Amino acid sequence: MHIPDGFLDYTVCAITYAGSIIFWILAFRKAGKNLTDKQIPLMATLTAMFFAAQMMNYPIIGGTTAHLLGGPIVALTLGPYAGMISMTIILLIQALFFGDGGITTLGANVWNMGVIGVFIPYAVFVFITKIRRSRRALLIGAFIGAFLGDVLAAVFAGLELGSSSIFPYAASIAVATMVIHHSFIGIGEGIVTAGVLSFLLKTRPDLLSLPQFAQLSAKELEPPALIR
Amino acid sequence: MRTDLSRHRNPMLLGIILSFVFVVVGAVWLSQSQETLDKVAEHLGVTASPIWNPPIPDYEIPGFEGNPLMNIVTVTVFTLLVLAVALIVGKSLKAKAKIQD
Repeated sequence: MHIPDGFLDYTVCAITYAGSIIFWILAFRKAGKNLTDKQIPLMATLTAMFFAAQMMNYPIIGGTTAHLLGGPIVALTLGPYAGMISMTIILLIQALFFGDGGITTLGANVWNMGVIGVFIPYAVFVFITKIRRSRRALLIGAFIGAFLGDVLAAVFAGLELGSSSIFPYAASIAVATMVIHHSFIGIGEGIVTAGVLSFLLKTRPDLLSLPQFAQLSAKELEPPALIR
Repeated sequence: MRTDLSRHRNPMLLGIILSFVFVVVGAVWLSQSQETLDKVAEHLGVTASPIWNPPIPDYEIPGFEGNPLMNIVTVTVFTLLVLAVALIVGKSLKAKAKIQD
C-alpha cells in the first residue's frame, strides 16, 4: 500500500497532497480539542504499536504478503482527527528514514491510509452504532468499518496508480488487483480492530473516544453470558 | 496457567511490550515483504525513482543487511522515537487547544 516515488504522475501527487493538506489542517485544529489528557499516552502508544506492527508481513494469496495498517484502531480509540495525525507520524518516519513510501507520494499515502483508512472506519462505526446500541453492535461496527476502510484505501491506491502513465493498465484493472488482495488485509484488520476495541471496552472504556451515542453503561458493556 | 489480560491496567506499558513483540516477530519470522504493489511493479518492470536517499533503506542499516538482531535493535529504537514524537505532538495539540479555550 505504501506507494514509492516515481509510481504516480505529478498531477496525481499534487491532487492527493491537496486533499491530505485539507485534512491535516482540520486534524491539527480539532484533534487537541477532542483528545483528553488521558488519551495522549494512548495516542503515543498506538502510534508506536502500529509502526512496529507494520513490520510483520503475513502471507496472503498468490505469494504476496500483507501487514496491518492500524488506521481503524486509532480512529475508534482516539477519534479520526488524532487518528489521522498518528498515521501521518508513522508514514512520515517510514518515508524519511526507511524509504517505505515516497516523498512525492506522501500525500497519496496519507490520503489512502491516513484519511480513507481512518475516516471511513469511523464513519461506518458511527452509522452502525447509531442503528443499534449494544456491545455487539460496537464490535460489528468496528469489524465492518475496518474492513471497508482497508478496501476503500486500496480502491484509491488503485485509482491513483491506474491514472498514472507509468502503469500501462486501466484504473479498473489496478483497482480490482488492489481490492482483491486488500480484502484479505481488511478481514485481518477487522478482527484485530474488534479485538482491541473489546479489550479496551472491558479494561479501560474511559480511554476510548467513542461518540456520545456509542457510550454504553457498565451493564451494556458486559459481554453476553455465552462468551463470558 | 490462565492469564487475565484485564489485570494489565496500564495500556501504555502493555503497548510498549506488544510493540517489542511485533518488532521481534517482524524481524525474525515475518520479515519477507512482497506486497501486491511490489509484485505488480516487478511484473511490469517498473522501478521506484526515489528523490531522497533514506539512511536505513528497507529497515536495514547498510553493512548489516540480513542481520535480524541489528534489525530488531534498529526498529526498536525507531519505535521508541515514534512513541516520543507522538507523545510530543499529542501534548502540543492539547496545550494549543487549552490556550484557545
